[in-house]
Amino acid sequence: MSAVDRLNVSDRERSEPRSSREWLGGRASGVLLIVALLSLWELSSRLGWVVSAYWPPVSQILAAAFAQLMGGEILLSLAATMRRAAIGYAAASAAGIVLGIVLARSRLLRCGLLPLIEIVRPMPTPAIIPPLILFLGVDDALKIFIVALASFFPIFTTTYAGVAAVDDTLIQTARTFRTSWARTLYAVVLPAVVPAIAAGLRTATGLCIVVAVLSEMIAGSSGIGYYLIETQYAMRPDLMYAAVLYLALTGYALNRVFLAIEMRAIPWMGKS
Amino acid sequence: MSERLGFDHVTKVFEGQRGEADFVAFDDVTLQAGPSEFLAVVGPSGCGKSTLLRMAAGLVSPTAGKVLLGDQPVQEPPPGVIYLFQQYAKSLFAWRNVIDNVMFPLESAPRARRGELRRQCQDYLRQVGLAGFEEKYPWQLSGGMQQRVAIARALAANPRVLLLDEPFSAVDALTRMELQSLLLQLWERRRFTAILVTHDVEEAIFLADRVAVLSARPTALKEIIDVDLPRPRDQLATREHPRFLSLRHHITASLLGPNEKTNEHAALV
Repeated sequence: MSAVDRLNVSDRERSEPRSSREWLGGRASGVLLIVALLSLWELSSRLGWVVSAYWPPVSQILAAAFAQLMGGEILLSLAATMRRAAIGYAAASAAGIVLGIVLARSRLLRCGLLPLIEIVRPMPTPAIIPPLILFLGVDDALKIFIVALASFFPIFTTTYAGVAAVDDTLIQTARTFRTSWARTLYAVVLPAVVPAIAAGLRTATGLCIVVAVLSEMIAGSSGIGYYLIETQYAMRPDLMYAAVLYLALTGYALNRVFLAIEMRAIPWMGKS
Repeated sequence: MSERLGFDHVTKVFEGQRGEADFVAFDDVTLQAGPSEFLAVVGPSGCGKSTLLRMAAGLVSPTAGKVLLGDQPVQEPPPGVIYLFQQYAKSLFAWRNVIDNVMFPLESAPRARRGELRRQCQDYLRQVGLAGFEEKYPWQLSGGMQQRVAIARALAANPRVLLLDEPFSAVDALTRMELQSLLLQLWERRRFTAILVTHDVEEAIFLADRVAVLSARPTALKEIIDVDLPRPRDQLATREHPRFLSLRHHITASLLGPNEKTNEHAALV
């Protein structure tokens, strides 16, 4: 019954029982460091170690964050930013996944399109915002385009590399069962690449928010990026840091949600 | 259901890349496995045994000569010629559970027959000793069990010819013996033609009706040896049979070549 034992072991590994002692050992020390650093910040401001009108204590930032939440405007700004990020991200995902798979599987398209992609990829996205403002204006079209462009590359690159890394044995297996080209693509190659695609998508979730905020700072009339610039002009560092706090929390939450979806949808990820 | 599979004066040359010399993998090999025969092919490692099977499966085409399935030349993977890969872990679909892996070759069948085919697949799983593991995923199984899934999947494809590419070389010795016995059981029941490529002389003798010995590069057929051991074969009785030992001696000596001393230690490759 050794085989059954082995099964039980792998099941146990997956369910990862979280005892409180484990939590104390793993997570807690990380949380402790954050608390320590925030306390240091609080003290440095309160006790005058850093003398500046623009170095508010943490407690004041938290109070500002609470006031922002009550006022509701920060949520509107966050929603505006997230909407742009999400639209750009969706467009980038579709383009990146489709092109990644198609280019990896078709020699003709690869020869045609890869040089173009390789030329555009090293361009720092922010650098093309000023010229694009002249062309696309300062509205959503510009910001969504920039978000999509920046998010496209990690998704495309990991998908493309993922397809290239699909083990030949899988393809040959499908061939010996006389599987058609189209079915090999969607029933063998595509699921085999899903873990790679997921890795690219996860990188892009962080990036799309970064670029959305950046584009709002350069050419904005709404969103967190614009809010940051506005509060900078108003010389309200407490509001600025509070807004950054909301961004950090959003990014963290998105990543956790993404990981949870990955665990459920791709249980074979990292297993072979 | 079975079919004759033959290599008719097959030569395979791999073109050298960037000025390297061409590499002759096979030179004029003629070899045939009759219907329902179990043919084993042994040869030194790197002699291109897998290439031979890939040509039989229609995955690679010979440079000269013909691979014949019955009377038909093999050009692309023919129906009913199933390849069992050495790397079972890489040939199973990690995103499919056990039963869905076995179902894979049958999914082009009409939807109405799905239920019936699924029951069939469950029966194949029972035959390879994996009843009750239908919903597990490959990574939840041991190596030997994964290869059992691959065998069940091969059965589902209704093989006329089963090509076995060192299928048990990656599992431990005990599991290997279990799988060998399982394979013989299934072969005796289904009577497909089996061609096994291996570097394990004992495995070849234990399983096969005939053993073809290949020489090192460029690979040519050295000799074909009839395995006149009684069936059904038994892991203990067969391996202790005097004929088994003399066959092992003969084939191992043949593999090592005339220049090697054939003392028993050297013979245990």
